[in-house]
Amino acid sequence: MTTSAPELPDFAPKLRLTQSHADVTRDVVATLQTPSRGYYMLLFGAVALFLVGLLTFLVLVKDGLGHAGYNPPVMWSVYITTFVFWVGIGHAGTLISAILFLFRSPWRTAVYRATEAMTVFAVMTAGLFPIIHIGRQWIFYWLLPYPNARYLWPNFKSPLIWDVFAISTYLTVSTLFLIFGLIPDVAAVRDRVKGWRKFIYGQLSLGWQGTDTQWRHYSRAYLYMAALATPLVLSVHSVVSWDFASSIVPGWHGTIFAPYFVAGAIYSGIGMVLTLLIPLRKALRIEHMITDYHFDNLSKLTLLTGTILFYAYAMEYFVAWYSGNTFEQTTFFRRAFGPMWWAGWTMIICNAFVSQLLWFRKIRTNLTSLFVISIFINIGMWFERYVIIVSSLSNDYVPWAWDNMNPTWADWGILAGSFGWFGMYFLLFARTFPIVAIQEIKEMIPMPRRRAGGGHH
Amino acid sequence: MTRRLALFVGGAAVAGIAGVMAFGAPSRAQQAGPAVADSIASTYLAASDTADLRGPRQPIFFRHDLHAGQFKMQCQYCHYSVNVSPEPGIPSVETCMGCHAIVAGSDSGGRAEIRKLRQAWSEKKPIEWVRVHFLPRHVHFPHQVHVGAMGPNACATCHGDVSRMPQVFKVNNVNNMGWCISCHVERQVTRDCTACHY
Amino acid sequence: MADEGPTQTLDRRKFLTVLGVTGGGAVALSGCSTSKVEKLVPYLVQSEDQVPGVPTWYASTCTECAGGCGVHVKTREGRAIKLEGNPDHPVNRGKLCSRGQASLQGLYNPGRIKSPMLRSGDSFAEISWDDAIARLATEVNKAAGRVAVLSGAGPGTFSDLLADWTSAAGGTMVRWEPIGHEPIRAASRAVFGIDEVPSHNFADARYIVSFGADFLDGWLSPMEDQRGFAASHGFDGDSARFVSFSPRRDLTGLNADEWHAVAPGSEALVALAMANVIGGAGAAGGSLSAYTPEAVAAQAGIPAASIVRVARAFAAARPSLAVAGGAGNQTRGAVELATAVHILNSVAGNVGRTVLFGSGPTLGDGYEGLARLMGAMDANQVGLLLVHDANPVYALPKSAGFAQRLAKVPFKVCTSLYLDETAAACDLLLPNHHALERWDDARPRPGVVGLMQPVMEPVFQTRHTGDVLLQASQKAGGALARFSAPSYETHLKDAWRSRATGDFDTFWIEALARGGIYPDASADGGSAAATASAPAAGTPALTAALPAFDGDGEFVLAPYPHPFLHDGRGSNRPWLLENPDPVTKLTWHSWIELSTATAERLDIRRGEIVRLISPHGELEAPAFPYPGLHDDVIAAPLGFGHTQYGQFAKDRGTNPLDLVGPPGNATFIPYVSTRVRLEKTGRFKELATTEGNPRQLGRGIAEAMPLDAARRGLTVRQAYIEAGHGKHEINTELEMEAIQGWRDETIEARKLGNYATEHPAWGMAIDLSRCTGCSACVTACYAENNIPTVGEDDVIRGREMTWIRIERYWEDPAPAAHGALDEAGGEHAAEGVTHGHPEARFIPMLCQHCENAPCEPVCPVYAAYHTADGLNGQVYNRCVGTRYCSNNCPYKVRYFNWYKYNERSWPEPLHLQLNPDVTVRGRGVMEKCTFCVQRIRGAQHQARVENRALRDGEFTTACAQACPSDAIVFGDMRDPDSRVAQIRSNPRGYHVLEDTNVRPAVTYLAKVLHPAEA
Repeated sequence: MTTSAPELPDFAPKLRLTQSHADVTRDVVATLQTPSRGYYMLLFGAVALFLVGLLTFLVLVKDGLGHAGYNPPVMWSVYITTFVFWVGIGHAGTLISAILFLFRSPWRTAVYRATEAMTVFAVMTAGLFPIIHIGRQWIFYWLLPYPNARYLWPNFKSPLIWDVFAISTYLTVSTLFLIFGLIPDVAAVRDRVKGWRKFIYGQLSLGWQGTDTQWRHYSRAYLYMAALATPLVLSVHSVVSWDFASSIVPGWHGTIFAPYFVAGAIYSGIGMVLTLLIPLRKALRIEHMITDYHFDNLSKLTLLTGTILFYAYAMEYFVAWYSGNTFEQTTFFRRAFGPMWWAGWTMIICNAFVSQLLWFRKIRTNLTSLFVISIFINIGMWFERYVIIVSSLSNDYVPWAWDNMNPTWADWGILAGSFGWFGMYFLLFARTFPIVAIQEIKEMIPMPRRRAGGGHH
Repeated sequence: MTRRLALFVGGAAVAGIAGVMAFGAPSRAQQAGPAVADSIASTYLAASDTADLRGPRQPIFFRHDLHAGQFKMQCQYCHYSVNVSPEPGIPSVETCMGCHAIVAGSDSGGRAEIRKLRQAWSEKKPIEWVRVHFLPRHVHFPHQVHVGAMGPNACATCHGDVSRMPQVFKVNNVNNMGWCISCHVERQVTRDCTACHY
Repeated sequence: MADEGPTQTLDRRKFLTVLGVTGGGAVALSGCSTSKVEKLVPYLVQSEDQVPGVPTWYASTCTECAGGCGVHVKTREGRAIKLEGNPDHPVNRGKLCSRGQASLQGLYNPGRIKSPMLRSGDSFAEISWDDAIARLATEVNKAAGRVAVLSGAGPGTFSDLLADWTSAAGGTMVRWEPIGHEPIRAASRAVFGIDEVPSHNFADARYIVSFGADFLDGWLSPMEDQRGFAASHGFDGDSARFVSFSPRRDLTGLNADEWHAVAPGSEALVALAMANVIGGAGAAGGSLSAYTPEAVAAQAGIPAASIVRVARAFAAARPSLAVAGGAGNQTRGAVELATAVHILNSVAGNVGRTVLFGSGPTLGDGYEGLARLMGAMDANQVGLLLVHDANPVYALPKSAGFAQRLAKVPFKVCTSLYLDETAAACDLLLPNHHALERWDDARPRPGVVGLMQPVMEPVFQTRHTGDVLLQASQKAGGALARFSAPSYETHLKDAWRSRATGDFDTFWIEALARGGIYPDASADGGSAAATASAPAAGTPALTAALPAFDGDGEFVLAPYPHPFLHDGRGSNRPWLLENPDPVTKLTWHSWIELSTATAERLDIRRGEIVRLISPHGELEAPAFPYPGLHDDVIAAPLGFGHTQYGQFAKDRGTNPLDLVGPPGNATFIPYVSTRVRLEKTGRFKELATTEGNPRQLGRGIAEAMPLDAARRGLTVRQAYIEAGHGKHEINTELEMEAIQGWRDETIEARKLGNYATEHPAWGMAIDLSRCTGCSACVTACYAENNIPTVGEDDVIRGREMTWIRIERYWEDPAPAAHGALDEAGGEHAAEGVTHGHPEARFIPMLCQHCENAPCEPVCPVYAAYHTADGLNGQVYNRCVGTRYCSNNCPYKVRYFNWYKYNERSWPEPLHLQLNPDVTVRGRGVMEKCTFCVQRIRGAQHQARVENRALRDGEFTTACAQACPSDAIVFGDMRDPDSRVAQIRSNPRGYHVLEDTNVRPAVTYLAKVLHPAEA
């Protein structure tokens, strides 16, 4: 069928979609057909990594945490680092899917499904770490408030308890949001597949028929969900930051931590989004839906948050100097010139400096350079948390207790496992559900004018 | 030395009473509470009658219901350290022999059990009782303080009315912290963790 | 208590087989341990001195060194679980050093020989005692007069019996201690004509000068000397000055107010020069004229001026005290050194006042005796050698060739408890009882006789050597037949009858209860009452010159006795291996020390493995650059490098004695007599140290103040301001408001639940002017609280569990600048490399039980919380192990169970040492100092039962109980009359990290610094 070039919605001159509704559905559903060998190799790799992590965890449960590189006074290290890292990753997803939706910024449509999925799986990954890192993993549920004969309750003063609530809330809401957004698309898929798959998609689409009433209710509800999810972007990572800020450890005990962490979270999140999308759009052959335009916008967001980080880093050092507090001063002096200088500088270069390259449009629109930068961002943000946690702990109040730690196989094993666990779910999702939001893409396409014998859709 | 002497003297005395009571047992048993009436119908229960008794079977079928119940022996007579030590003290075989050097039992079954005891004594083998009540290792329960604070029926509060048990069983789930804490709350005494956990 | 009837002992053994029924400590913490059915096994016969759940105390005598301290042994359910000092005993007054406390790990050591053994080929085969004794008897007869006995046992009824028995068997006995202080005796003979080692009254000395006498590392009578030193040097209105002349700064040297790194061997010259200054050239028969400060200064390498100054001050202060003669300074000139110091003391008129004859330790035949024995062995005059309580194969330099000589002896018998190097070379092993398992006595010095009694059934099938000798004598017959006592116990009693006054049985029981007979301890801190005369000094021929050293190496090797392992007898005890050496803070492995200047010159880094080569051998060990060392000296601790001696000691590190030459015809072992060459290997080892950054970075952790400021009763801050430092405001106005707000809140909170009623507030005060860093408190804490030893690998990863640790900071002579960045842990500071002669500051660091504890609010499950009586509670079974509390603890005194230490730290039968009153922590939980809450609760329960209030000083924590310097005081701060409350109000008092407003319950009293003398 043919469609005359449609007038574009004037709010989005960049979104030049040349195909019809039918094409969109076809293209997207095509992403769910028999996967390529590359996909299977990726999936295999992810599962393998996950198994490595699982094995490490079992050893930890059997013998104790001693296998990890913990070296008192460094009582938290790679596991908490990775925990914060994954929580952070999640935030970009919610930002893009919820906040940008409320701001009516149309470019999100093509990417939000992918980022939302990323959010859910990132939080799922992060959720494992509080359990992995505690000494007696089998009684982690003591952190939950439940009535018991012993008159015992968790300590609501403890930031770790706030964490439990923050993370579980975040997981619930973002999962609901994802599933909700999927309904119309699942229905679309349902109508195109046969057999048992049809049945399953049928169930998941909750009897979606696409009637006007359904649409009316749906879009209203979606709006509310978005509104509900929005504050989490700010709250969750603020709470996580208070795990540190509410302690008295020099280098943690800072008032800027909440905004600092939220900015960092979004920064790292978008870094991960880029890392995932750039290969994905190729793999799924949807270049025409996720275009330079999207990446340009994502990059700008990265630049913004990256610059905020730059400011935060500078401020940390300034405050340390200005406070006249010897403990703070020593901590930050050693962060830059102490035994862990290399980690400190990795974080500053990867986050503060590399992000500044995005001032240049050429770099923003060149996917290769963008991909490289996104990798830098991921590394940099992991190290940011590593530095904040390990270097601060390794030299606090009593010099006699100072010591440095070196990660061991157990640390790397769990870290690798977390990536495997995340990748596994993401890949499976990409094959099972439309990774691009069919309906919302379609909204970009103006209704073709009816003509005699005009095509149907 | 003096202590050992006392054991024998006291033992002989109790033994006398025991002998008398043993014969008077059945009649007294009629008045005993219905719950245990038939259980102490005779001073001895054949293994068959005791099959349905609760609690673990002990190497010697020692009957608290006779010693503490009918003969009205003080708990402290055997559990000698209960009011001076965190540990109640399990009677030494010597303590048992204090009486049973003289008391041989009133009927065949009783004699059989007492024979086991005398054998253990002659073979210098301590008796390995099966433990009924015990706390986790990380709990410290000072018996002496509780006995002191709670007075006469302190023991029964946790162990139940042992004087009516042919075979001791766990009445209260004492190794559950809920049991301890509810009592401490009720009596408004300390709820400090380090009162018991250290 | 005295009555050990046969049936009773039998039952104790029976009971031991079912330990764990009441021995709660012996089983690991586990949430679900309630499910498994257990047996209750009662005593067969209720022993009269054992009440389950209540400890029984026995008095005994410590046999770990010649000091002969009196101990109280705490037993529970028939097993010893802790050793504490006997408060009545004149030698140690209730105090006990690490080595003494670790005697418990000697008792339960897995390395003990479990039954008699006979050599078969290269290994040993178990045999029965009857068989063993029969063999001994026949061998003794076979040897026919060619019997020799080498015994390390201190003087006492047993060694009398042994000597008697040996002569009856037609042989000779030699009593030999590796570090026997022979030079001092020789000097006493030369100067005073007394064949004796004096005792020293440190308490009365107003000025102390040490020429390498390591009286705080376990010299003559460690507890007595340390107590005396603390009394005179600790600040109590005034403080005696302590000057040290020595090539190496050992723990004693680190406590000196002034240290002079003299050239090895030149100490004698310095002492004589001082005597010269004091007495004038004419003193001591004019023999001093040659030793002018100027002449000596050049050889000693220190300015003549300081010799003169110290000499003048030394003479001015009366009485003063000069001591000399540690093994670590034992050069070929050791006798001359001791002579010189005797002269110095007599010139200064100290003999009879601080140097006391007639009360010194009774010592053996010394190396002379051993040399005689070795001569006899060479001449094949020894047919049977019985080695008792000695390990010459290890403790002598290899070059002395004892092992080769031993091989020549046809039949060798050893009664050692452990399979040590000597035992491994013998033919018949007759393992003796441990001191806590046997009847025995000891005469550490005139007027003091300590008794030992079995406090429990033997752990293994060992037998008292006394009984073995008696039984063997009966079998052997002949001249030995006269040893007819039925048992050593009766023999001992018979030997004691002469001492009895009145009815023997009463006397005996009283003696047992007191742990021996001795004069009542007088109130003053001085040494045991000694009726000492002041013998006149003779005029010995003085030939003091720099002693000779073998070899032509660049450095003089100075092997020194390890403060805990001593000559190596301590190295099979995990407590002593894990408790860091107070000076270097190294654990578990051997090392060599070289001065920081030398290290920089040769570019040798910390932990770099170096090779030492002497004419007699070579060894490799990691290097430890140490600021307290003469540049030409390399020091190395004795005690490592065992080739036998159980799983803990075997193949651990290297032994510096391998490099030392043979004593030759010396009458003592000249430990410091070899020059060594040093080679780099380019390899490194990560040192198992507990030291982080040894600089305080001006954070005021271990505070100190000048003597005069302390005299005038200034506070630490006032002293700082006087010293010209800025007025350091701790908190700003706003902070103070916040703090006040918090105060009000806590006061409100105190009106709730448990907290409403009146409670004590437990607190502690630690006087840094008394603390010498000896670390006895650390060992006591390990013993009391079932603290696991984690081993070398985990110490390297900073995972040691010392609830109380001794931090050793280096301070430059000039007070450290305030502000952090100047010294902010540049790596070289972290390596402890400091130039000049830094001042060492020791501070015991333990949980401060903060009123405003940062660890409490962050615990998600309330495992860390504040008790009503002011403790910072830690509930192990509630802890899930998030470790946030440790992150948030400014003092870093919380320790985590990274592995299942509870399963691996106490290999059988070591687990029998566990304290049943304290939960053994499982894997994955946090633990820390509890202020010995089990003792608090125990005392409260007792008071409850007796229906009375707690009395101050009725109980105390393990660390305070053990502290030989009485630096630690514990009690109820809310009781104004309590000792702790009074000490806390001392102007020297301060809190560590006060700025953080955590309001610690531990108050430290600042150390007092002596000014540089003009």
